[in-house]
Amino acid sequence: MSRALSWRAVGVWALLAALPALPFMSKFYLLLAFDALLFGAIAMSLDLLIGYTGLVSFGHAAFFGLGAYASAVLLERGVVSLWACLLFAVLVVGLYALVVSYFSTARRGIYFALLTLIFAEVVYTFFRYTQTFGGSDGIQGVPPPRLVGGFAIDTPMRNYYLVLVYLGLAYLACRVLVTSHFGKVLVAIRENEDRARFLGYNVQRYKMAVCMISALLTGLGGALYPGRSAFATPDLMLWTVSGEFIIMVMIGGLGTLAGPVVGGAFFVLLQEKVSSYVDWYFIVIGLVLVFIVLFMPKGLLGIRELLGGRRWRATA
Amino acid sequence: MARDGVVLEVDTVSKSFGALAALSNVSLVVQAGQIFSVIGPNGAGKSTLFNVVSGLHVPTTGRVRFRDREIAGLAPETINRLGVAKTFQITNIFPEISVFENVRVAAQSRVRESGRLPSLWRLPDVEAAAADLLRAFGLAAKRDEMAENLSHGEQRYLEICLALATEPTLLLLDEPTAGMTPGETKEATALIRQIASARGLTVLLIEHDMSVVMGISDRIAVLHFGEKIAEGAPEEIRSDPKVVEAYLGPPED
Repeated sequence: MSRALSWRAVGVWALLAALPALPFMSKFYLLLAFDALLFGAIAMSLDLLIGYTGLVSFGHAAFFGLGAYASAVLLERGVVSLWACLLFAVLVVGLYALVVSYFSTARRGIYFALLTLIFAEVVYTFFRYTQTFGGSDGIQGVPPPRLVGGFAIDTPMRNYYLVLVYLGLAYLACRVLVTSHFGKVLVAIRENEDRARFLGYNVQRYKMAVCMISALLTGLGGALYPGRSAFATPDLMLWTVSGEFIIMVMIGGLGTLAGPVVGGAFFVLLQEKVSSYVDWYFIVIGLVLVFIVLFMPKGLLGIRELLGGRRWRATA
Repeated sequence: MARDGVVLEVDTVSKSFGALAALSNVSLVVQAGQIFSVIGPNGAGKSTLFNVVSGLHVPTTGRVRFRDREIAGLAPETINRLGVAKTFQITNIFPEISVFENVRVAAQSRVRESGRLPSLWRLPDVEAAAADLLRAFGLAAKRDEMAENLSHGEQRYLEICLALATEPTLLLLDEPTAGMTPGETKEATALIRQIASARGLTVLLIEHDMSVVMGISDRIAVLHFGEKIAEGAPEEIRSDPKVVEAYLGPPED
């Protein structure tokens, strides 16, 4: 097909669309599937930074949380149009991301990571201690958003299809982006930032642009969250959430887009399964992650390569 | 107004790092189509001169003009876009992508979409330009190899390909044959000469291999402790006693 879309990707998406037809897909599993795809899509957005550009953002939870708050604030006040929620999330997250990316991309490596972390902590603290937004309780019990007229996204099934559409569009956008002129420059920046400057590229502008795009995609994902959970809390912005996003990208496979989707879904499912059996589930999850990082350096998708498949890393 | 045919004019440029004067009052004029070499022992200030011209360093005093435009203090990417491309003494490529992708990212820097919104979704076709360059440097068969897997000599050529792909007017070559065997050096020298004339390039070359410099240059300047001690045609430089003393060492017989 085109450079952006493979038959395989369309096939996987179609299978996901057929998933709710399975007999055991209860409401509980639909919501779990919602989380798996939502965090998969967010990990994919983060992969634009980590896998393609070589920038490790430690503050993506803030983009996610701000998107969720933007949406929840409107829903709470009776503005129940999904489109209004998404637009407002784009504005809020975009404005914040502009500031963060402007300052963070002026620094490299660990300093970039630390700056994104510090900005995110400021946002977390603000929402945690501001009573207007519910303080530590956040905004609870918001009504579901409406797609058009009276059509509310109020069932797990509808939420699932909404997130599936979001994942599909976000994947398409990311795929087009990484195979474009712009995407080639991102990879060049990851490989050798100084050399890219001497080839005429204003590296900071490219970094800012990719940060903005990644943040907006993450924020849009966040904006879908209150529709599923009916709340937005400061915990969504905790730095551990940012850490989980990074882990999702790592275990899925850097610089592959599809890998982090798998990684995000895997992480959500693993967490759910293990935590339902034991209290100390983080130890189990930790061990699984250590195993993947040590023995599958190209992530879950890299297993194809181990089995003799073609190289997945989307550098070409 | 500068004179016709002057591509680069370095005008009494000095550059100090703290108390160390890496360059003092160096001036030179490079004419269009020339291969102009700068030679000198290690620490003579050659690389500093290049870094000033290519935008890595801002000169402490003095001016640098490229085709009548003041470029001292501009960012490297801006200077590159004006038509100055630089290669590096230590190979500086994109290691974990293919040879072709290396040249592609350099070549697409000059397409119309570059730096504009449509670059987010369009992938410009630079196949022809990239393939030409790879063929000229004998890398066509390696286009799908990972760049880091090339031999040292091939990486040196890829380095030059990257610079040329940005379609420069002025090419700055920083010891292009560093680390090459004598055979490779000879071949590389001939190739540079040939490509420069075929593309109508002006070349500013840093080199400390005298055989390279003498064979290729139209004009040579000699730096010693940050000062220019001589400038002239290769034969003049070869016989200049100051140069012989400073650079080649005392005569043996």
